[in-house]
Amino acid sequence: MKTMILTAAATVAMGASLASAQQLAPSPTLDAIKARGHIECGVHLGLPGFSFADDKGEWTGLDVDYCKALAAAVLGDAKKVKFTPTSVQQRWPILQSGQVDLLSRNSTITFSRNASLGLNFQGINFYEGQTFIVRKATNAKSAADLDGASVCVAAGSTEEKNASDWFLERNLKVTITNFQKNDDAIAAYDAGRCDAYTAGVGALAGQRAKLKVPGDHVILTQPISNDPQGPVTRWGDERWQLVVRWVLNGTIAAEMLGVTSANVDQMKASSKNSEVRRLLGAEGNFGATMGLSNDWMYNAIKQVGNYGESFERTVGMGSGLKLERGQNQLWTKGGLLFTPPFQ
Amino acid sequence: MIKALTLLNDKRVRDWIYQIALVVALVGLTVFFVRNASENMVKAGIASGFDFLWRNSGIDVPFVLTDYTRASPIIDLFWVGVVNTLLVTAVALVLATALGFIVGIARLSSHWLLSTIAGAYIEFVRNIPLLFFVLFWYFGVIAALPAPRDSVNVFGVAFLNNRGLTIPLPDAPANFRWALAAILLSWLAHALVSVWARRRKDRTGQDAPMLAIGLVLIVIVPALAATWASLATRWDIPVLRGFNYRGGFVIIPEFVALLAALVTYTAGFIAEIVRGGIQAVPHGQVEAASALGLRPGRILRLVTIPQALRVMIPPLTNQYLNVLKNSSFGAAIAYPDVVSLFMGSALNNTGQAIEIIAMTLAVYLVIGLAVSAFMNWYNARIALVTR
Repeated sequence: MKTMILTAAATVAMGASLASAQQLAPSPTLDAIKARGHIECGVHLGLPGFSFADDKGEWTGLDVDYCKALAAAVLGDAKKVKFTPTSVQQRWPILQSGQVDLLSRNSTITFSRNASLGLNFQGINFYEGQTFIVRKATNAKSAADLDGASVCVAAGSTEEKNASDWFLERNLKVTITNFQKNDDAIAAYDAGRCDAYTAGVGALAGQRAKLKVPGDHVILTQPISNDPQGPVTRWGDERWQLVVRWVLNGTIAAEMLGVTSANVDQMKASSKNSEVRRLLGAEGNFGATMGLSNDWMYNAIKQVGNYGESFERTVGMGSGLKLERGQNQLWTKGGLLFTPPFQ
Repeated sequence: MIKALTLLNDKRVRDWIYQIALVVALVGLTVFFVRNASENMVKAGIASGFDFLWRNSGIDVPFVLTDYTRASPIIDLFWVGVVNTLLVTAVALVLATALGFIVGIARLSSHWLLSTIAGAYIEFVRNIPLLFFVLFWYFGVIAALPAPRDSVNVFGVAFLNNRGLTIPLPDAPANFRWALAAILLSWLAHALVSVWARRRKDRTGQDAPMLAIGLVLIVIVPALAATWASLATRWDIPVLRGFNYRGGFVIIPEFVALLAALVTYTAGFIAEIVRGGIQAVPHGQVEAASALGLRPGRILRLVTIPQALRVMIPPLTNQYLNVLKNSSFGAAIAYPDVVSLFMGSALNNTGQAIEIIAMTLAVYLVIGLAVSAFMNWYNARIALVTR
């Protein structure tokens, strides 16, 4: 009898505690973000099209847009994000030490960064390929024509190693000069110190504008590498990683499903597609499952737009960079972008 | 028990206890920090330990004085950085001291134009940040030099352009090792001869022909050895092919720019130290020396400078340490010093920030302490000996 009463009491207590609050895995990062009221997002020092501060201090770019969408999803307001510009060398320590909640700064996913730096890449928001910019007068048509050239590069970047490996494999000799910052390397290239500067196709499209006479230079079309880039978090705090991953997936899914900032209200109210309804919180409780409000992706799409809108505005045809979608097109349209289903 | 308590009344015993307690606390604190850091790093998935030093570096370096290649381990990359830091520091020390002495003495000159120019230079240099100097020299050097196709041709063997100064390199260095040994031996011989000559002069008052001996042992023998070595060796002479000269050794413009920046910047400070040191010697000393009949050159050499040096050495040591530390500004212009190579490239490739920063700090600490130790020894040597 005693045992029965005890068991009953325990069951009641368990039920009561389960009902009183939805049980969520602890997430110190999310708690801290909600307490301070904004997201700390680490971005590039200044890369037009990806993360670039204008003369009023307003940040724009593809990587910046992602952080804004994240702020809209977590805090309901895309403006509640503080951008911290980081150099190639600062980025990992700043993330590892917890000064920023995440990095969104066109950094390439690599094995050793994932395995030995304690970093997790939460998806791919830009498929980049490394190439070179050279003076038109050199008549170089591809990277193989650069035998004997001096190449300026940012120290510690994947570009440094890619270039070194690529030329070594082909028995070509280049002199690689390592600068602390991308901008230093560009300035030295522009001053004539190097025959070429190397960076991703997308990055170069924006950085080209920093040269004194952009028209005198040509970007080699054949990329020598494939550099997938995306938002990065540190190890630990699974729930925060979940949020970072699925907001990115959400912006891609929205494009896939035809949800845009213009039609998001109408879609939420009347779409018959249940994936759309789950994405926008009209059905199910996906937001609440992660400890967010249920209209998390609604806010993100409404305030920032889907991936395609963001791409066109920052690096695509609606921007100064005029990049083709290329690999960054949805897989259904011949690109590489896809997202797991919202089910 | 009572005995133990009475021991506590002894001041020496109490002092010992305090000292031991302090050491234990310090060691404990260090152990706590290290363990705390390593536990947290394991939790955060960050690799730790020094194993990475033996991993393949894979980093290309444009200015290497050791036998490093991109296939060498990271520890070799570290040594390349240390050697490059030492090289630029050592050359900058010598040149900055020479230029500083010239400017400092010019500042004291009674010639109005000379002292005004020196004064303007000092004021200009001391009020401008070093980073500006480094960038100014760097872009100045690159802008002043021609592109590889229009290189300045030095006797058909060396070529100067904005990729650096390409000089020929001996194919086999063996002859040069012999030459170097001969040179060092001849210098050693000179040192021994001069000690013997001084002793003999103290004993007998006879002068030895030191000028002639010095000319032979310090100049002629080394010159002969170097000439023999360079004639007996096949040289790898750079040739223009494609983008730039191939072969030979390249002295990169970053080295020249950093050196020029360090020398011109530090010389301004050294000049003030020199002026201060000379002015600190009471004028009565000079008057007394000339009353004894010494000529101005000997007054400067025997009376003023030895006393001025005593005042100058401690602040000069500070400047020398500053040169060492300032050499890390090379990272701003891609000079491959220990900061740029090890804290830049290696840190980013391995991510082992704590180990790498600790090792880099240790490099500066060790070199810095060695410089101070030498300067302290020199200071003690020239200190006033009171009898």
